Amino acid sequence: MSKQFALSDLVDDRPDDGVFRINRAMFRDQDLFDLEMKHVFEGGWLFIGLATQAEHPHDFFTGFIGRVPIIVSRNGDGELQCFVNACPHKGVRLVQKKCGNARRHVCPYHGWTFDSSGANKNIKWKKGGCYSEAFDSENHDLAEVARFGEYRGLLFASLNPDVPSLEEYLGEASKLIDLLADKAPDGLELVPGRVTFTYAANWKMQLENCADQYHFTSTHPSYIRILEQRAKEEADEVVKSSIGASDFWTENASGVTGGTMSFDHGHVLNWGVMPPSSAIADFERAEELAEKFGEARRNWMFNMRNLTIFPNMQIAENASSQLRVIRPIAAGLTEMQTWCIAPRGESDEARRFRIRQYEDFFNPTGMATPDDTVCYEEAQLGMAEQERPWLQGHARGMTATVEGGNEYADMIDVKPARSVLSDAQLCDESLFASYYRAWAERMKEVVA
Amino acid sequence: MSALSPSEAAEFLYREALLLDRGEFDEWIALFTQECLFWMPAWRDDGTQTEDPDRELSLIYYRGRRNLEDRLQRIRSGFSVASAVLPRVSHLISGVLVEEASDERMKLSSAFVVNTHDVRVNRSHAYFGRYEHELVLHDGEWKIAGKVIRLLNDTVPTLLDVYSI
Ligand code: FES
Ligand SMILES: [Fe+2]
Repeated sequence: MSKQFALSDLVDDRPDDGVFRINRAMFRDQDLFDLEMKHVFEGGWLFIGLATQAEHPHDFFTGFIGRVPIIVSRNGDGELQCFVNACPHKGVRLVQKKCGNARRHVCPYHGWTFDSSGANKNIKWKKGGCYSEAFDSENHDLAEVARFGEYRGLLFASLNPDVPSLEEYLGEASKLIDLLADKAPDGLELVPGRVTFTYAANWKMQLENCADQYHFTSTHPSYIRILEQRAKEEADEVVKSSIGASDFWTENASGVTGGTMSFDHGHVLNWGVMPPSSAIADFERAEELAEKFGEARRNWMFNMRNLTIFPNMQIAENASSQLRVIRPIAAGLTEMQTWCIAPRGESDEARRFRIRQYEDFFNPTGMATPDDTVCYEEAQLGMAEQERPWLQGHARGMTATVEGGNEYADMIDVKPARSVLSDAQLCDESLFASYYRAWAERMKEVVA
Repeated sequence: MSALSPSEAAEFLYREALLLDRGEFDEWIALFTQECLFWMPAWRDDGTQTEDPDRELSLIYYRGRRNLEDRLQRIRSGFSVASAVLPRVSHLISGVLVEEASDERMKLSSAFVVNTHDVRVNRSHAYFGRYEHELVLHDGEWKIAGKVIRLLNDTVPTLLDVYSI
C-alpha cells in the first residue's frame, strides 16, 4: 500500500498571502513519482512528435506515452494514427525501430500481422487454433490511443479519454506555437540526429530550468566568457552567438528586457528581447517575415523564447532552436530527447549556422547544458533535506505578476492568464506556479 | 621522413590518450593542427550516423583548434560546475589499423573504451566506439589533422566532454 499524499503538504499555494512554495518531497518521492506517471503522463495530453516524422503513407515512428510504448503511423490514406505499440496477443512490443516505412508490421513472437492503420491482418494458424467464439468476438487490432491530435505539425496524444479538446488544452499558448510555425512557411522539421541524455534528478528540474532566467549568468559564466571573447575577436573558426549579440540577460540592460507568460493547463513562456540580427539563423528571412506579418510580430519571432507545453515539451529559441521532450524514468532519473528544430527550406548557410550554434550550447557534449544538468543533480541531493522542506525558489516576481497580458503580449494577440514584464534582474519565478497548478489538476484523484 | 610503422602509429594514439588521462591538456591540444577537424557525429533515428555536419547534427563538430582551446578554457575556468571536479578517465585503445599511409599523411582507425569515474557523484561509466585519425607531417612532426569519434553508446549520462572520449 503506497502512501497517501495531501496536496497542502506538497504545494503551499496561498496567493492572498503572497505565498507559493513547493515541498522537496515533490522531487524525491518514488511513490509520488509512480502516481505522476499514471496521472500526469498517462492521464492527459502529451507531446509525442512532429507530423514530418511520418510524412509519407506507411511511414511510422515509435516512442512512449509515460511508460506505454506507442507507434505513430501514417496509414495508406495518408492519415496519421497513434496506437499502443504492443501486440494484443501477448503484449510484445510490435515495432522495435525508432522510425521507418512499412505496410505491414509482423509481431516477432507469434507472427500476428497488422497493417499501417493498426488493423489485424493475420493471426497465424487461425483456423487450426480451436478458438472459442468469445475469442472471435474480441477486437484483435492494435489499440488506438484515446485521444490524438495535430496542431500546426505538432502531434499530441492522451491515453485518457476524459480530457479537454486539444484546442482547449493548448489554449492561448497555441499562439506561441503559431509564432514558431509562421516563421517556417514550408513547415518545421527535425534536423537529422537525435541527441539523448539522462540526468540523475527529477523531471521537474528540467521542467523549471527551461523557464528559469535567474540561473543563466550564475550557472553559465564559463560559457558567457567564451561568448564575450568570441564577440571581441570575430574569429572565423568559431560560431557567432545570438545570445552574445543581445543583452536582455546582462545585469545592466535597461528598460523592459523580457518577461513571462503563464497559461491555463500549465504552459509557460519566458522571453527576452533579442533584436533581429545576423547572429540569428532566421535573419535571412527577416525582411520577408516583416512584410508578411508586420514588424511587431516579426520582432517577436526573433525574440528569445522558451516555451513549455506542460508536461513534456519544451521549445527553446535562444542560442539556436531546440525541441526537447522530457521522459521521466524514476523520481531521481530523467531522460531527455533533444533535436534541432528548423524551418524547412532555409538556405544551406542558415542551416549550417543554426546547427553550429546548437551544438555548442544545447548538446550534453557542449559548453552549457552540462552545467545545467549537474546543477539538477546537486539539487536532487539537496531535496533530501527534511528539516525545512519548503523550497524558496518560486517567489521572485510575485508582486510583479498581473492578471492577463501586457502591451508586448498584445503585439501578438496572445492573452495569457498571468504575465510579468521585467527588467534584466527580475527573473520571474512566479510562472512556475502554473506548472504545479496543472500538476495538481492532473493529480486530483490521488492528491487532494 | 616516412610514414609511421603500425606500432609507431599505435604508440602515437596511446600517447595522445595518455595526455587526456593525465589531464595534460596543453600538450594534448598541441598534437592538433590549427585547422584540425574534431568531429563526433550523432545518430539518426534510422540507426545510421549523421554524415553531413552542415545539414545534420553532430554531438561535437569543430573545424579549427581554436574551438578546442575554448573548450579547455571552459573546463579550466573555475566557472563551470560540470568541470569543477573533473571526472577521472582512462582510455583503452586497441585494434589500431593503418588504413592509408604516405610520407606526409596517414589514416588510422582504432577501437576505444574510455572508462570514466565521476568523482562528484561516485559514478562510473564506459564510453566506447571507434576513432578515425588523420595524421599529417607538419615541420617534421606528425600532427592530428582530423579526429572522428564514432560513439556507439550515445545516450549521454549527464555530460561528456572532450577528455571523456
Ligand atoms: S505476442 Fe505478438 S503474436 Fe504473440
Ligand atoms: Fe542553463
